[in-house]
Amino acid sequence: MTSAPPAEQTLDTGEMRRVSFARVLVFELRVRDAMTSPPISAGPTDSLRSIQHLMKTHRISGVPILADDALVGIVSIEDIISALDKGYINEPAERWMSREIVTLRDHFSLVRAVAEFDRHGFGRFPVLDANNRLVGIMTRGDITACLMHHLERRAEEALAKEAVLVATRADNEKAQRVVIDTDVKSGDFDSAGKFSQRMREVLRARGIDPEIRRRAAIIAYEAETNIIIHSLGGRITASIDPDKACIEAVDRGPGIENVDLAMQEGWSTAGPLARELGFGAGMGLPNIKRCADEFTIQSELGSGTRLHAEVSLRKAGTSI
Amino acid sequence: MKQRPAIKLQSLLPFIQARPLTDLAEADLTGCYISDLLSDVLANAQPGVLWVTIHTHRNVVSVASMKDIAAVLFSCGRKPEAAIIAEAVEKGILLLNTSLTTYEAAGKLWEAGLR
Repeated sequence: MTSAPPAEQTLDTGEMRRVSFARVLVFELRVRDAMTSPPISAGPTDSLRSIQHLMKTHRISGVPILADDALVGIVSIEDIISALDKGYINEPAERWMSREIVTLRDHFSLVRAVAEFDRHGFGRFPVLDANNRLVGIMTRGDITACLMHHLERRAEEALAKEAVLVATRADNEKAQRVVIDTDVKSGDFDSAGKFSQRMREVLRARGIDPEIRRRAAIIAYEAETNIIIHSLGGRITASIDPDKACIEAVDRGPGIENVDLAMQEGWSTAGPLARELGFGAGMGLPNIKRCADEFTIQSELGSGTRLHAEVSLRKAGTSI
Repeated sequence: MKQRPAIKLQSLLPFIQARPLTDLAEADLTGCYISDLLSDVLANAQPGVLWVTIHTHRNVVSVASMKDIAAVLFSCGRKPEAAIIAEAVEKGILLLNTSLTTYEAAGKLWEAGLR
């Protein structure tokens, strides 16, 4: 066998989908989707020591400095290390902060943000909105986390969609059930075959394989003629689903004295009229059993007979 | 399915002195089945055959239609009612009859090459 196992094929397609998802995402997602917000900030007069504590408490590596809501500088972990090293950790931020700040806009796409990281080599960017207000801070880690989060969400959405599709298909199949039924009168030889014909038309319209169609038709016909020949009258029903046809023939009696005997080929209790018309071969029930994939018959003297037969409409060897 | 090539119904008519009861058109036969028991035909006849029977009841048409039988030959000069012939036409089943007995017809059909 040269074909790969189905499981591997599924995995491959799944991964390909993820790559394209990620590509789409970096264009689709904005800086505002990935940034940490609200940002932890400090004032220009705050000491570098207090900023060091902020970093420690919030596990961050950079703190923007705001003066009257305007971004005036940024203190990074590298600045703190220098301050500790050189002994000015207790001095105010405004003396040592970086004043030339490169910022991102909150509406930038992530792909542009990544380019800015690559271009400047900074570990973090303050993010400004359209009014130059500081709205967040973003690191490379934020981008990764955001992408992962969205990928996961997309994957979940895809799974949910698939589940809905599967469920919808199941619903559709149920909706596709066609039920035909008719009363069958005792001795009404002229109507024999009409029901079977109707059922066959439904099966033909569904494109069911001719051989399967024929088997279902024979069951319906034999069951129908059994009611005509042997019973006081009854009813025949066919429920046709996409995957199977169920044929049920129920009569009002008199019931079969010996079901085992009735199942034997050649044994018949048909009267002279029926025999004159070519019925009563004693092959009806055996024929039904042979044509059916599932077959049950229950009979009680005095109350009647119930015959249930099923034919699978999926050709043997084809799945789903 | 039979390996033997199909035989034209038209070519058999002279052998069995058959009279068409419907327009016989261009029918190809895959073989022949003879039985007067409907259930037996349902159980054993192959699609596309010529069915020889003495029954002329409309159930013959139903059974023939169900088994995709190509044509029905009524032997012993029997002839179904007009309504039954009409039903056969509607279902695309060809009908013909012969005054020969079933046995005689069978022999002639065999001789004519219908196997």
